[in-house]
Amino acid sequence: MNLEKVVFGFFVLLAATLNFGFFIGDIDDPALHNPYELFAAVVVNLIATVLKFGDRTQIGAVHLATSLVADLQLIGAALMFGYAEYVSSAGMTPSWTASVVSLSGGALLANIVSVVLLVVETVSFHRG
Amino acid sequence: MGNPLLIFWRQVFGQEDDRRRVRRATLRVAAASAAQASATIFLVMRRMRVPLIVLITIFAVSVLGLTVIPGQDDQGRPWRMGFFDAFYVMSYTATTIGFGEIPYAFTYSQRMWVTISIYLAVIGWAYAIGSLLALLQDRAFRSALSLQHFTRKVARLREPFLLIAGYGRTGELLGHSFDALGRRFVVLDLSDERIDGLELGSYHADVPGLTADARDPGHLAVAGLDHPCCEAVVALTNDEEANLAVVMAAALLRPELPVIARVTSRTLSERMQAFGNPSTVNPFDRFGDHLRLALKAPASYQLLTWLESGPGAALPSRGAPPRDGRWIVCGYGRLGRELTADLRAEGLDVTVIESTPAQGEDADLLVGDGSDPWVLAQADLDRAVGLIAGTDNDTTNLSLVAAARRSNPSLFVAARQNRPASAPLFGAMDLDALLVPTEVVAHEVYAQLSTPLLWRFLREMPARGDRWAADLVGRLTDVCGTRLQALWKVRLTDEEAPALGSWLASGTAELGTLLRNPEDRADPLHAIVLLVVRGREVTLAPGDDFVLRSGDELLLAGWAAARRALDTICVVDAVREYVVTGRRVPSSWIWRKLSRGEPEVEEPATRPPAATRS
Repeated sequence: MNLEKVVFGFFVLLAATLNFGFFIGDIDDPALHNPYELFAAVVVNLIATVLKFGDRTQIGAVHLATSLVADLQLIGAALMFGYAEYVSSAGMTPSWTASVVSLSGGALLANIVSVVLLVVETVSFHRG
Repeated sequence: MGNPLLIFWRQVFGQEDDRRRVRRATLRVAAASAAQASATIFLVMRRMRVPLIVLITIFAVSVLGLTVIPGQDDQGRPWRMGFFDAFYVMSYTATTIGFGEIPYAFTYSQRMWVTISIYLAVIGWAYAIGSLLALLQDRAFRSALSLQHFTRKVARLREPFLLIAGYGRTGELLGHSFDALGRRFVVLDLSDERIDGLELGSYHADVPGLTADARDPGHLAVAGLDHPCCEAVVALTNDEEANLAVVMAAALLRPELPVIARVTSRTLSERMQAFGNPSTVNPFDRFGDHLRLALKAPASYQLLTWLESGPGAALPSRGAPPRDGRWIVCGYGRLGRELTADLRAEGLDVTVIESTPAQGEDADLLVGDGSDPWVLAQADLDRAVGLIAGTDNDTTNLSLVAAARRSNPSLFVAARQNRPASAPLFGAMDLDALLVPTEVVAHEVYAQLSTPLLWRFLREMPARGDRWAADLVGRLTDVCGTRLQALWKVRLTDEEAPALGSWLASGTAELGTLLRNPEDRADPLHAIVLLVVRGREVTLAPGDDFVLRSGDELLLAGWAAARRALDTICVVDAVREYVVTGRRVPSSWIWRKLSRGEPEVEEPATRPPAATRS
């Protein structure tokens, strides 16, 4: 067992699950989308991205690309969340909530690709 | 079986295939080297993982803590910080900017948490920035960066360039002469200092340089061996093996490129000849040849050294080495052996002085330290005509020269200078002949590469004899003065000299008519044609009545202004017309159309070159 692989798999999977947890629920109901979960998703995604730095293989490059996409979308969602809460006078209206959640949905897709890549990599690894 | 189409196909494309295969091999070699460089950068990114993760974690924990810990607003009501406020507070606190407690004054529980996070965040930042700076200082990383920088610079070269492996004294001399010609070159050297020295070399053009081992074909490929604009490879390192490796790499990866290598031993030179047909330069051998030429034909030797020294060189004085009598050679190393053999081949007596006894095959070998007065007396210095101080130690050579001069002032003295730092001392000695191996190599390579015509001229020239050479030196000094001016090549083809076409075809195109001043054709141009190449036939220093033909290649020496004037004559019809016939014709299209009738009718009849020459 390789500890590096455990940590890597853990963070990639955790990023996807947290993202999914935030995404699930009615798209325009702010009560169903916990901001802490979004925060956790952003942080874990960032850590997963850094873990993918410096891999020279083709699959490593795709891994990094998916993570960067997820980061971009999640940070966009967090920025919109912050704008709705602090700047906009209306607060978290259903339309703002829907925008934030749909952005996180895009990130979820990228995270799923990442997990699929992880699975493919694991399955195609032959012992001996 | 005998399908003519297939044979044709193979004839035309088979070679192409071969070439492509070689090209692919070179590309692979270059890619391997570039991959090495990017590998280092990946390693650096990998090493930044831990500091970055630590930083992200610390930030995340601090921000989360701030949002969770209960606070109060300005009215004392319970209030919780949002993520944005928490992130904002942590950002300015962690980076030690410190705007204070925003938006409301903190409670004690919040302050406790912020205290802890300040220490954590400062440690995190210090760790991350410290690791980043350490990586930037890392040797491997820096050399990888410089390799990438170099690769990019070489790949962007769009003009022909020279690849110089080994940038010692020789490389520097060669680089400066090529730079003066406006040619580009790329340098590889093992030593960091020499590559840094490139920046201080004050070249006109940017010279890409890389600290790398030239024995590695990957480095050669990165330095442009596979670049379509690479015109020649020169191996000038001090290490003979490395030179051989460069020759091998060039011959195998780019067989069509000319290669010039510095060698000092015959065996290595023969080993190099096994790879394609590189031209090798052995400074000791060349000096021996030069000495023989100087003995036979001092003026030819003078012309040779002058033309080899490149633009701006002063006319060397014409020495007169004694043709009969006994010579003394001090030092029986590589140089001593070559010179002894050369002098004996000229029918001269030679006495050799060597401090370490050799295998004793030589009858006239004196064992002893040459700088010892007793040994010199043994060699019967008073009755000798020439002395060559050819050891590999400058101090010994200088003291030999001084001792010999004292006992026999009329002696012809030649010495070898090994280190560039000793140059002023040898200069002060006022020697009859000085051998600087690095300069011999640099001049030789320059002569071979600057223009192929010069090399051809220098090889053909000694056969013309001393009188002819003295005459040519006289003509050159009349035109250029005692400093060599520009050397250039003109090709009389339709592309490069479109204005000359019909005149050349007429069969009466005499050289003397062409080399006239376009302002006033009574004045000749300040230039001399050294060589005319027509197909396989060469003519050295043709006279004014030499008839030019289309396709001739000319090598000229003269003022830069003459070069510009000749370029104008070759390109502008009106100027050519004036220079050749003395008639001023309009140069613009409209005026030519307007004044068409007359000159067109007259043209075939007007060509009196001899009559108009002043």
